[in-house]
Amino acid sequence: MIDVKAYDFVRGPLLEFALYFFFAGMTYRFVRVIFLGLPKDYAKPKGNPLAKAVEKIALKPTQGWRFFIEVFAHRGIQYVGGFLFHLGFLGLTFFVPQHAFLWKEIIGFELPYMPQLVADILAYSALLSLFALTVHRVFNPVLKLLTGKDEYFANFLIGTIIFTGLLAMRWSGGGVYVWIITLHMLSGAILIIYIPMSRLSHFVYYFLSVFFYGWNVGKRGVSF
Amino acid sequence: MTLRVEHKEQITQEEIETFYEVCKSSINTEVASYLEACVRCGLCAEACLFYMGENISGKIDPSLTPAYKADLLRDIYKENYTLWGRLKKALGLGVKIEPKDLKEQVRLAFYTCTMCDRCTKVCPMGIDTPRLVAILRSALTSAGLVPEDLAEATNTAVEKGSPLGVDVPTFLSRIDFISDEWEVEIPVDKKADYLYIPSSIELMKYPSSVASTAKVLNHLGVSWTLSTKAHEATNFGLFTQSKEVVKELLRRILVGAKELGIRTIIAPECGHAYQSMRFVAPNVFPEEWSFEVLNVVEFLYKMLEEGKLKLGRKVIEEITLHDSCQIGRRGGVLKEPREILKLIAGEFKDSVEFPEKNICCGGGGGVVVEHDADYHRQKAFLAKAELFDKVGVKSVACYCANCMLALDRGSRELNRDYRFVSLIDLVAEAIEEE
Repeated sequence: MIDVKAYDFVRGPLLEFALYFFFAGMTYRFVRVIFLGLPKDYAKPKGNPLAKAVEKIALKPTQGWRFFIEVFAHRGIQYVGGFLFHLGFLGLTFFVPQHAFLWKEIIGFELPYMPQLVADILAYSALLSLFALTVHRVFNPVLKLLTGKDEYFANFLIGTIIFTGLLAMRWSGGGVYVWIITLHMLSGAILIIYIPMSRLSHFVYYFLSVFFYGWNVGKRGVSF
Repeated sequence: MTLRVEHKEQITQEEIETFYEVCKSSINTEVASYLEACVRCGLCAEACLFYMGENISGKIDPSLTPAYKADLLRDIYKENYTLWGRLKKALGLGVKIEPKDLKEQVRLAFYTCTMCDRCTKVCPMGIDTPRLVAILRSALTSAGLVPEDLAEATNTAVEKGSPLGVDVPTFLSRIDFISDEWEVEIPVDKKADYLYIPSSIELMKYPSSVASTAKVLNHLGVSWTLSTKAHEATNFGLFTQSKEVVKELLRRILVGAKELGIRTIIAPECGHAYQSMRFVAPNVFPEEWSFEVLNVVEFLYKMLEEGKLKLGRKVIEEITLHDSCQIGRRGGVLKEPREILKLIAGEFKDSVEFPEKNICCGGGGGVVVEHDADYHRQKAFLAKAELFDKVGVKSVACYCANCMLALDRGSRELNRDYRFVSLIDLVAEAIEEE
């Protein structure tokens, strides 16, 4: 019965702790940066900084494609892999059928979920993309220089989550299933705890960083 | 104490501590957001002209990646502003900076970055790497580690009034020469609405730009003048990121402009001059800096829009454009030069799909005066030349004399036959032919 006890522990107190830790950690990191303050800028803006800041938060990821030909030639794997990975990982986290009950427990209602076939396709493409992106990090000289333990650990953790999720769904049964699903949830809980302590928190800083980018674009009166 | 920036050969613990403290005290919400947001994707490398230039030569130098340039600053930020970083520091696992690390920072921040802002555009997180490099430059300058040539030029600017040593007598004699040679009237120290401040690069190396600006201003019939107190537009304080030098050089302009009752300052064809007067000066003198600041190209376009300037004659068959990063991408003057060139050139062929995509000359940010950066500047020129070759035009209009100097030099060094022309020279020619 140790397998069920382990499952109950991960599914219950550990996941709850992870979620509290995540929200507290992310709030702390966000607020800490906000409270550092800003100097007042007396230079008259040439455009509308606030409008540009809002526009860029909404559109910046798509506008990077304006450099597509030049950058894609050297970084195709990152563009395609990055897109498929984010689509798969985020799609699965929020909209896979097996997570619907979990979201109901966390936020009080069930999120709409995708057909299983779509979920499977997303899972395989995310896993393959993550593998390709990791290999790319190992061999591309620029990425090799920029990559630290943080990135490799995060990739390993996320890879484990997707892989065990797939195993649990398609390739395991009986007693093994409980261990696999426990491992899936354990790696998920570790990831949730790890996010506020790592660069995986970039999704929060995106809003700040791009806000300032857009603000400066508006201040200088350029469009991009 | 005399205001100076230093170039030290020896790096001791004192320099390291000064560097560290300046980096630490430069953190604010904007800077921290950029430092936190980097996802280590390295896409910025593909936008950096120094990295691109190496690539064109068949080499890869990953250390030229913009994100990497801010790594030491990022480490200093983390160990002072994050829980995990503070804990590591308390356990003795904090940032260890060696003299060689600071020497490397000089290469990364001064020799291989012109703060052109192209990487910011490619970055999916919008990280303003020039802003981070500016902090590194400021910290290195505070530690006395300014590259020798740049330190010399900056100190000459403070002592004599111009990085090329143009003091007031030299300024007046050059103006006399230009006035005689190009037969143009140039008012000096008169009460006026407009103050035109040339850069010493124009005065000494491209004097026709000064003559052309004078011709256009006279043609427009506006009330304008030069000033002996505000006779230098460039601000080497921005290159070294020395707040004291920036302030002193701007103070001279403030005094000169106030004395002559100026309403609008016309910044010359010089990137950092425009940047310093338009975006920095209001923050250095928040209460006193009440002037409108226009780049000369911006001013010409305004005159065109108001119908005061008419340009109909074509003075060149075909031409392309080199954008000054500090006036264009970081200054918002991108449409103006294009519209003017369409009026005065038989055919204007843009070398980029959209203006913000243009590539820096490779000599901005003080790089052109640093001999130790020559290798990188020449490599960077390859990325620029590739654009010119793609568009297939040999004549290139410029609206920054520093760019023109760097491009001329790069073109000569690599045996290319491009012809770089000042945009204001072309406009003056178009007026003469009318």
